[in-house]
Order: sequence, then C-alpha cells, then structure tokens
Amino acid sequence: MSSTALVDRRARQQMLRQTVGSDRRRLVATALLIGDTVAGVGFAAGLAGAVAAIAADEAWLAWAALALTAGIARGLFAMHAQRVGASLAADAKTRLRRRATAAAVSQPLAGARWGGEIATSIVDEVEALDGYVARFSPIRTAASLSPMIVLCAVALVSLVAALILVGTLVPLVAALILAGTAAADRSRQQFAATARLSGLFADRLRALPLLLAFQATGREEEVLSRAANDVASRTMRVLKVAFLSTGALEFFAALSVALVAVYAGFNVLRLLPFTPPEQLDLFSAFFVLALAPEFYLPLRRLAAAYHDKQAAETAADRIVALERDARPSAPRPLAEPPRVSFDEVTLRYEGSDVDAVAAVSFSVAPGEAIALMGASGSGKSSILGALVGLVPSREGSLAIDGHALDNGTSLAGAVAWVAQAPLIVPGTLADNIRLARPDASRAEIADAASAAGLSAVIASRPGGLDAVIDARGGGLSGGERRRIGLARALLSRAPLLLLDEPTAHLDHLAEAELIPVIARACRGRTALIATHSAALACVADRVIRLEDRA
Amino acid sequence: MRLADVIALGSYQQRRPTIRAAALGLIVGSASVLLLGLSGWFITASALAGAAGAAVATSFNYMLPSAAIRLLAIARTGARYGEAVFSHDAGLHIGAKLRPALFAAVAAAPIRQALSLSRGRALSMVLDDVATVETALVRRSARWSAAGVLLGGAALLSLAGWAAMLGVGAVALLLLVATEQITRAARSLEEARDDALADLRIAADAILAAAAEVRCYRPDEVTRWIEEPDRTLAAAQRRLHGAGSRLQLVQAAALTVSAGLAFGLSTHEAPALAALAALAAAMTLDGLSPLLRELTERNRARSAGARLDTHLQVGSETRPIDGIAIMATLELLGRRLAAGERVWLSGRSGSGKTSLVEQLLALRPPIAGQARIDGIDIAFLPPEQLRPLFAWQPQDASALSGTVRDNLLVARPGACDRALWQALRDAALDHVIRALPEGLDSWIGEDGARFSGGERRRLSLARAFVSDAPWLLLDEPLEGLDPPTARLMIDRLNRRLARTRQGLVVVSHRPLPGLTRLSRIDLSAVDVPNMHQTARA
Repeated sequence: MSSTALVDRRARQQMLRQTVGSDRRRLVATALLIGDTVAGVGFAAGLAGAVAAIAADEAWLAWAALALTAGIARGLFAMHAQRVGASLAADAKTRLRRRATAAAVSQPLAGARWGGEIATSIVDEVEALDGYVARFSPIRTAASLSPMIVLCAVALVSLVAALILVGTLVPLVAALILAGTAAADRSRQQFAATARLSGLFADRLRALPLLLAFQATGREEEVLSRAANDVASRTMRVLKVAFLSTGALEFFAALSVALVAVYAGFNVLRLLPFTPPEQLDLFSAFFVLALAPEFYLPLRRLAAAYHDKQAAETAADRIVALERDARPSAPRPLAEPPRVSFDEVTLRYEGSDVDAVAAVSFSVAPGEAIALMGASGSGKSSILGALVGLVPSREGSLAIDGHALDNGTSLAGAVAWVAQAPLIVPGTLADNIRLARPDASRAEIADAASAAGLSAVIASRPGGLDAVIDARGGGLSGGERRRIGLARALLSRAPLLLLDEPTAHLDHLAEAELIPVIARACRGRTALIATHSAALACVADRVIRLEDRA
Repeated sequence: MRLADVIALGSYQQRRPTIRAAALGLIVGSASVLLLGLSGWFITASALAGAAGAAVATSFNYMLPSAAIRLLAIARTGARYGEAVFSHDAGLHIGAKLRPALFAAVAAAPIRQALSLSRGRALSMVLDDVATVETALVRRSARWSAAGVLLGGAALLSLAGWAAMLGVGAVALLLLVATEQITRAARSLEEARDDALADLRIAADAILAAAAEVRCYRPDEVTRWIEEPDRTLAAAQRRLHGAGSRLQLVQAAALTVSAGLAFGLSTHEAPALAALAALAAAMTLDGLSPLLRELTERNRARSAGARLDTHLQVGSETRPIDGIAIMATLELLGRRLAAGERVWLSGRSGSGKTSLVEQLLALRPPIAGQARIDGIDIAFLPPEQLRPLFAWQPQDASALSGTVRDNLLVARPGACDRALWQALRDAALDHVIRALPEGLDSWIGEDGARFSGGERRRLSLARAFVSDAPWLLLDEPLEGLDPPTARLMIDRLNRRLARTRQGLVVVSHRPLPGLTRLSRIDLSAVDVPNMHQTARA
C-alpha cells in the first residue's frame, strides 16, 4: 500500500515537473519576482534617504524620486511576472491537455467513469494546474533567493540588524519544521474538510431517489446538518493548531520589525547597554527598518500560493491515473474483407461486475453483412467495441481470419465506423469527411458526400464542401450528422465496416433515406450492423439475434 | 428560503465569532499601520535626539515608544491569529448550513429537476458554487481589517497634518475605484473565458462520445481537435490575466504615490513626523489588499450565490387526496391486485418495467392510465401519499456512504437491531455482516465500495425488508447472485411474505423459480403508451 502510494507520489512529482518544463519563461518569471525584491530595496533606500535628507535639511527630492521610481518598478515587475506566468501556464496546459486527450481516447470503456468524468480530467483538472505553473512554481524559486538579497542589503549597512533578521529566521524555520509546513497544513486541512463535506453532500444527492422513496430526506437533512457542523467544528480544532504555524510566520515577521526598530533606535540614541560594533546614522537605521518586512514577504507570498500546489497535486493524481489506465492497442492491419468469428466470447467492462455479453458465438463470412439485433443492454455495441479494442474479452476466442484477436490488439485502423452520433470536428465539411482517408482527392470526397445524400446540405451552404462547421455542430441536424458519418465510411477503403445503431432516433422517413446509403457502404466489405430497426436489418445478408443477458 | 436568509440566520447564530473576528480584524489592520509608522517616527526622533548630544538623548522618552512597538508587534500577531480562527469558525459554521438547506430544497423540488441536480455537471457545479460562497464567508472579516487599516492610517496621518491625511485618503479611494473599474471591465473577459471553457468541454465531450470512431479513423489527430478550443481558451485567459496584472501595477503605484504624497505634504512638520507619515501611508495602502481581493472576487461569489438561490427557491406544492387505505389495492396496467398479492413484471429490457416502478414511487413524472391505487390514478396522487405504500429495492443497488445501520435505517428510523438482523437474514446477507469486525456499525465506504455488486444488491434488498410498507417493490433482486444464493433468497422471501402479509411487485427479466403464488404481467406483450419515450427520459 505504502509503496504504491510512493510510486503514485513519484509519478505525480514527475508529472508536475514535466508540466512546468524547462521553459525559459519560468526563469524570466522568477527573475521578475527577484527584481521586485531588488526594487523593494531601492524603495527602502529612497525612503530612508529622503527622511535623512529632511532631518539634515538637505534636498530630498532626488531620494523621493528614487523611491517613486523603485515603487512603480515593483508594480511593473509584479505585473509582468503575472503575465509571463500566465503565458507559461497557458502553454503548459496545452501540452498537458494534448497528453490527457490522447490518454482519454485510449481508455477502455468502463461504465460511469467514461465520458463525463474523463472530460472533466481533460478540461477542469488540466485547468487546475494553472496556479501551480503560473504562480507557485516561480514564487517557490524566488522565495529561496529573495530573502538573501534583502539580507545582503541589510548587512551592508548594519551587521547587527542582519543578524537580528537571521536570528528570527532560525526559530521561524524551526517552528515551521516542527509544526509541519504552516501553509501546507492549513490548506490541506481546509481542502480535505471541504472535500469530505462535499463528498457527503454529493453522496446524499446521488442517493436522492432512494431517500425520496423512503421519505428519508428530512432525516438525511438532519444527518447532513449534524455532519456539516461536526466537520466544521473538527476542522476548526485542526485549524487552530495549523494557524499557530502561520502565526509563527507572522510573529517572527512582526518581531523582526520590532527588534530592528528598537535596536536601530537605541543605536542612534547611543543608549544601547552594550557597545555596538557599528554606529548607525539615520539613513542606515531607517533603511534597515523599511527593509525588515521585505525579508519575510517572499515566504508569505509562498504561503498564500500554497493552495495552488494543493489543487495541482489533486488534479495531477487524476491525470496520472488517466494515463496509467490508458490501454492503447496494437493495430492489426487487414488487406481483404475478413472473416470474423466469435466463439463463446464473454465481454465485461473494466470495473463492472456484470458481463456485457456472455458466451456469444457467431461467425461472419468475408464480404458478408450481418445485422446484430437484440434489446438494448443485450451487448450489440459491446461486440463492435471488442473489435476495436474498447471492450476487453474475458473468455472465449475472438478470431479474425482464423487468427485470435487478443486483448491489446485491435482492428481499429482497418475499420470504417459509423456511429449514432458521428464525431464533428472543427473545420470544413470536406475536412470532416476526409478524416476517413486523408489522402483522398477532392473529387473522391465530393463523390462520397453526394452518395451519402449530403448534396442538399452542400448546396444550401455558402462555400459548399468548404463551408466551415463550428465546434457546436453548426446547425447540422441529427440526420445530416449521420450522413457525414456515412460519407466517411463510403470514402474509407477499410475492409471491415461497423455500424453502431446508425439509424437510432430517426423517424421512418429519414431512416428510409439512409438505408440505401448504408447498403452501398456495405458492398465489398465485411459488415456488422448493430440495430433495433427491422427495416435496416433487411440490408443485411443475415440477422443474428442476441438474447437478453441472463 | 433564500441564500441571503440562510446566511443571515447563520450569521445571527454565529454572531459571537463574527463580531470577534471583526473586532480582531480592526486591531490587525490598525496595529500593522501603527507598528511601522511608530517605528519610523521612533528611529528618526531617536537619531535626531542622539545627534543633539547625550543630554538630549537621555531626556528623550524612549521607553514609551519602544514598549509600544513591542506591544504592537505582539498584538498584531495575536490579533491576526484570533481573526483567522474566529473568521473561519464563523464562516465554516455558516457554510455548514448551506448544504443541508440546499439538500432540503432539492429534495422538495419537482422530481425531474431534483434528479437532474443529483449527478454529473449540475452536481459538480453546485458543489463549486457552495465552495465559492463558503470561501467568501470565511473572508468576511477582510473588510474589518481594511477598516482598521484606514482608522490606524488616519490616526497617524492626522499627526502629520490634514493635508497628508486627506491626500492619502484620496489615493486610497482612487485605488478602490480603479480596482472596481478594472474588475468591472474584466467581467466581459471572464464571460469570454467561461464561454471558451464551455466550448472546450463540448469538444472534449464530443471526442469522448465518439471514441470508437476516433480510434478507427485518426487517433493521432485527436489532440489537434482539442487544440483549437484550447487555444481560444488560452487567449481568453491571457487577456484576463492581463487585466488582473494591471491591478498589481495600480496597487504598487498607489502605495508609492501615497507614501510620496504623505511625505511631501508633511515636510513642514518635524522630520520624525514626515517619516511616520510616509511609512503609515505605505502600510495603509498595503493593508487594503485583502479588501481589494474581496472586491475582485465579489462578482464570482455573487454569481455563484445567485445560482444557488435558484436551487434554494424551488419547491412544489401538492394536496393529498382522501380515500387511500393503509392496505391499499394496486392496479397495474389494468390488472387489479388486492393487498398481499404477488406479481412478477417481466419483459425485455426497455419494455418499461423499471419505468413503471419509478412512476409508482413518484421518481418519474407519471403517465396517466398505467397504475391506480385504490382506484385513483397515480397521476393524481402526490408523492407523499404514494411513497409510504412501497418498500423499494432499486435496480442500481445504490448505497449511502455510512454504516450498514445507516443504510438500513433509511427505510424505518428507529427500527430495532432485531428487525435489522432479521432483514439481513432474509436478504441472505447476515453472515457477511456478522463477519465484519464492527457488525452493523461497519463503515461500508462510498457507494458501498466495501461490498461486491451482489452484496450491495442484497443490502439494498435488506433495506426494503426493514420497511413495513404494504407493498414490496423489488427491481431485479436476483441480478448478480449465484444460483444457490438466489434459491436461498427466494426461499426466505416466501417465508417473509407469509409472515408480513405484504404484497409483492417484482421486476425480473428472468423467471423466479420457487416464488409461490406469483402471477405475471408481461410488459413485452402489453401495449404501454409512450413507453419508449419514458424509458429514455
């Protein structure tokens, strides 16, 4: 258990490292944050110079100008650090999203996890890494350098003040180590508490039908209320301790200001009970005072960005899991229409405890078209899915031309697939049809389109075949989308054609128009048509009925 | 009940920590300004006194300011700790009211709406919104700390003169206005980002829904299709970040300008006061940043709250109908069943068996003419009258995350342990639960993760057995059971029914050998109106 946890943690760390990458902009963002600290030193010097100049009745405007310039430079540095971080994060997310998408489409089908949850990984979980890349990572690097710069600047004018800063840093670090990383604890606790509550709330909402049926919603509301209060109280007990370590950061920050102020004050008053190694003037005294809060600023920034890290780690775990669960299958090429034989094949989705198809046997001759019929849930789609590696087989033998098709190999590259809801990608109508065969000529695409009955669509749109279809489908009807799917099948030269309920949810007229196209697509290939429709089944040479699973 | 009411009630109940957090916020804000301002004054005054010679230096009252500096440092730390604790205490406890209130509102909503919120994106959106509102609640003391900052700043700057105080006040005001302006301008950018995100979701959903097709044609191309919406999103975000980063510049500039202004306007005063003014001004503007963050996130919290409000304000009113007996008779698809009768609903998947069961439980909008209770069509009966008539074992065998006992008591709160064990025994699950270290109080994990599919189903069956409703409604009770267990279960079901005299409606796609006195309604043979449509709803 702990060793898997360790492996997972390593995988997560590696993923986060890769996400941040070795991009030059990360250095730029870090440099800008360090520049912010350097400008902070300039601001303190300008302020101290101006005060000292006034006290000595000298011209103070030049010093004030320095402070003003440095102060505005800080703003510019901070602004650009954020912008660079954002552009860095944007590219990192694009890379990661590509990886996650590739992993997502080679997931085996597994019930509810499929679809919504995986889409969440591609969209929201990748998004959750934004703060980590844009803010946390550069801040973490800067936080180790910036305090040193402040310390050096302080040491240049007052060694004792520098020692005071180091002196307050040491117990701070000790306190942080003792109490665990302050911000880490705090955000982890808050994170976990909210997650627990949300989990319970989501669980009761999921079980709503059950609770409604037993009229238990009132009681569960009480349970939820008690649990929510309980979690809030328990979280508070933990937070009281976690805030102590945040308090330590605060305390030493405030203490360092107070100690530096008192030391510098007594030094310039020459009233120290010991002989100091240095005699400060007003400028240096004021300078170290103004810099003291700057010393702790990077650490406080890091603490404030800690929840970015927390969110990123949670998301990274999911994406790592997605990549780990991916089952890319080795393609099995086909030259000729194949013979497909199922011998007592049992299929089961990953994570399910029921067979999708139990001990099914049938055989399809080369060039034969068969219709798979049976009630929904009888496993028609699962049989097609098994051929392209989406559904693993548990028992029996699935053979292509007499050679077994093992789990891990699939016919995917040699198949023309017609789905109930064909994929529409951004691009033109022609681009969408060309998916099936990238090297197809324009004339071939136009032929396939008109054979699939898309002529009316082409004629009605400005640009015809080159009409752009947007991501939301561009006003294509369900029937038109299916025609695009069929045009792809017609264009494709794949020797095996699989149709997954190609006419479901269409009215009789629309179905009747599609049937001849489907018949034409089946010509010269082995074809399996999963369907409920008796009219469509007539296209097939043979009908195979699947019994209800029992 | 509106969200504002929930929060107002919570705030009233949590008034002590809320007031404490506010008071401590005031202290934190003012102490931060006072600490640095006083330090600046002290050092400058000390230096001047020191330079004037030993006599002046010794007569300089250094004890009071240096003690005040140390006191302020400690007070600020203590107050900040207290503020964090109390504001979280109040915020978390007020937030704790949100979920139960939402749950109650959703449960009372019309069934279609209620169930649409119980899964998928709608659910995750509700969870996000609750979290957003909760975060805003925890941060409510930010405005008090800002008020403290302004008070402390005003007090110190008044020492340096009216001009400095008003000048810094004006800059602070400008900063607030500018933040509000930039935030408002960013609102359209936020919308563009949300639209881009929605488009990306659509693209991801489309690609995943067509996974088989993607596999067959161009698996290597798939990443390219996600790239275009991704690029749009990235561009939208870059613009939003650009607007957000402008805030950093404005804030830094305001801080610098206010320090310069305070200094410049108080040069006619003693140098120590000018130093005090510059540092106090800088800290005042710096101390406003929690408030600025609240300003920039207010919009998000507001729209989350508005969405939650729409869920909180639903509710359906129904009126009970007289004339329903406790031992009601049931009429299914024209077949009359007296109390205590047993019927098997058979038929192909998709023929509407489960749909019919769910209509009986008012878990799906009823279709007139399918079922009657004591002669009254269920379409006219409110859920509160239908549901007590049935003890249901759902097909999906869902479980609550909680203990075995929690799961069983859903059916009848206050049922005694004997009744629970009897129900478990009749569901052929007692030996499994007995083997668990904590028996009935064993935690079963999220959605019954600790159990196998068959065990979950039997737990669900046991739950139905705990209820003493006049009709048992069992949906595929044998699914996933091995033949010996199935036989055992049927045997015990026979005995149980003989004892309780409950009626039985059992949905099963396969026969139930050994179940006695069973009549059959075959849904494949009956013409059920609109069944296909409802089966897909």
